[in-house]
Amino acid sequence: MHELSMANSMVEAILDTAKKNDAIKINEAVFEVGELTMLNPEQLRFMMDVLREGTIFEDAKIIINMIPTKIECESCGFTGSIETDENTDHLMTVATCPECKNTRVHILQGQECNIKTIKIEKDDENA
Amino acid sequence: MHNVASIEIEQDIIQANDKLAYDNRTKFDEKGVFAVDLVGAVGSGKTSLLEKLIDEMDDDIGVIAGDILSKFDAKRIEDKNVPVKGLNTGKECHLDAHLIEHALPDVPLDDISILFIENVGNLICPADFNLGAHVRTVIISVTEGDDTAEKHPMIFKGADMAIVNKVDLADAVGADADKMVKDIKTINPDIPVVKCSLKTGEGVQEIIDLYKKFQEQ
Ligand SMILES: Nc1nc2c(ncn2[C@@H]2O[C@H](COP(=O)(O)OP(=O)(O)OP(=O)(O)O)[C@@H](O)[C@H]2O)c(=O)[nH]1
Ligand SMILES: [Zn+2]
Ligand SMILES: [Zn+2]
Ligand SMILES: [Zn+2]
Ligand SMILES: [Zn+2]
Repeated sequence: MHELSMANSMVEAILDTAKKNDAIKINEAVFEVGELTMLNPEQLRFMMDVLREGTIFEDAKIIINMIPTKIECESCGFTGSIETDENTDHLMTVATCPECKNTRVHILQGQECNIKTIKIEKDDENA
Repeated sequence: MHNVASIEIEQDIIQANDKLAYDNRTKFDEKGVFAVDLVGAVGSGKTSLLEKLIDEMDDDIGVIAGDILSKFDAKRIEDKNVPVKGLNTGKECHLDAHLIEHALPDVPLDDISILFIENVGNLICPADFNLGAHVRTVIISVTEGDDTAEKHPMIFKGADMAIVNKVDLADAVGADADKMVKDIKTINPDIPVVKCSLKTGEGVQEIIDLYKKFQEQ
């Protein structure tokens, strides 16, 4: 359940940036969440909905893009996606190279929790 | 009339935590304190390990004991007469670098050489949050089932050493401790893994030797 603390940090960072840019309303926010973070996007959305109530972020459209896992193999140099086994719900595959089955692999992608962009509305300066 | 603007934020919440963790690490290094982040499943033996290490290690030990709500763990360490700061996370399931930063003023860093941080019992969330410790130890026990490691690879991938505890109970619960060691080594080939029983004392010296080795590095 670290969705709550994540959502909290995300909403705070967004409101902070919006304020610095003199926003009066936030229309959209785009996030990138890595598969390996164990963050459930639906829970994240739910938490953010609770936290942004009554703020200028309240009505914004929230877009969450899930980032697939990418690994690099130390032994054969393979770079790419992991093989997910449909029959298992665990992520043991993050540890094995799909090409040479070596287990010395580095995770290149899939651990991020990124706030990409927001779209804001400002008062027209010439008004 | 309203102006609409798109603003790039590109802020990674996990990286933001890493920055705070780096500040904590700097503080430990300035004070010459070796810091250990101790993570593990609920009831795997984190507090028991600390009690044992306090008895058996020569170093001046300090403890930060993270707990969701209670103060039970902090009390157990207090009874050993070492400085302990209890840290209640409220609803949270893990400690983060920011919580540690807030706890540090209450830890006598000048008087200790090792700081153990007992994380909240959880094998999932702490994986994402670096606290700034020099070493992360993961402790699991045979009673959680011998598929625990393969079900939670991420926490082992990011750890520096691992302990498979309660081997005295392996037969009773029908768990294969060697399989657990093998799974951990598959996930993280370079990690030292100790089979241990905090009840019989098996493996404890090996754990202490590992900490000594890490400290010298
Ligand atoms: N038989 C046996 N029991 C153990 C061993 N290590 C710990 N225990 C028992 O397991 C129980 C839980 O141990 P703790 O040290 O409190 O576990 P913990 O990881 O600190 O638990 P939380 O902080 O609640 O997550 C206690 O009753 C310990 O006495 C062991 O090696 N063998
Ligand atoms: Zn969680
Ligand atoms: Zn390979
Ligand atoms: Zn404990
Ligand atoms: Zn603060």
